Amino acid sequence: MSSTSQKHKDFVAEPMGEKPVMALAGIGEVLGKRLEEKGFDKAYVVLGQFLVLKKEEELFRDWLKDTCGANAKQQERRRTSSP
Amino acid sequence: MSSLSNMSAEEISELLDEYGIKHGPVVDSTRNLYEKKLKEAMAKGKKAKPSPDKTFYREEEEEVTYVYRTPAKSEDVRDSRTYMRSRPEWTERELEHRSHESPKYTKEDFPTYGQDAPKAPKSSRLIPLWVQFLCFLAVAVFLYLVFSSMESNEPLKVIE
Repeated sequence: MSSTSQKHKDFVAEPMGEKPVMALAGIGEVLGKRLEEKGFDKAYVVLGQFLVLKKEEELFRDWLKDTCGANAKQQERRRTSSP
Repeated sequence: MSSLSNMSAEEISELLDEYGIKHGPVVDSTRNLYEKKLKEAMAKGKKAKPSPDKTFYREEEEEVTYVYRTPAKSEDVRDSRTYMRSRPEWTERELEHRSHESPKYTKEDFPTYGQDAPKAPKSSRLIPLWVQFLCFLAVAVFLYLVFSSMESNEPLKVIE
């Protein structure tokens, strides 16, 4: 992760609380919609999934790819967004 | 091979372990992912399939040691001793037993050694049967010697 976007900075600036999943860096409208359909409507739910996968980055990457079709860069942004 | 979707969570977990895939709990949200991973792993060809080899190894090891012991029995006593010492393939436990046995060999006579030879132990014992008999006899002879040396005072005299 060389540079972080503004969205990423905004996300990590404070605790995620009830922020929606689309507040995650790398998750825009399209991917966000797909995640919400699967039940991952809040950012903390996606965090929960990361934790259930024992914080294994590769597993999380694969899961994100399967669930919402995010490409590698978007997944990385999502991972580094989590506290 | 039952399909992955019909397997229980524990079975999926076990399969993941067999393929060496690090994983968390198999829950609703993770199940799909793990099933896909298992399909990929199976498609690549089975890398890890444990269990049956290990038991075979153990049985094989015991058989091997048994085979080596039968010629030792029929041979001369001294030969069997040196023969046993030079066996490098035995496990450490068995080597310990050997080192226990060899001092006993040097001290004791071998009056009934010939009688022990034809005992055919087919069972999978850790210490072979003839060794057990020998130990028993050694202890018996030792006790006899102890009691015989105690007979200097007439032990049969009842208390006056």
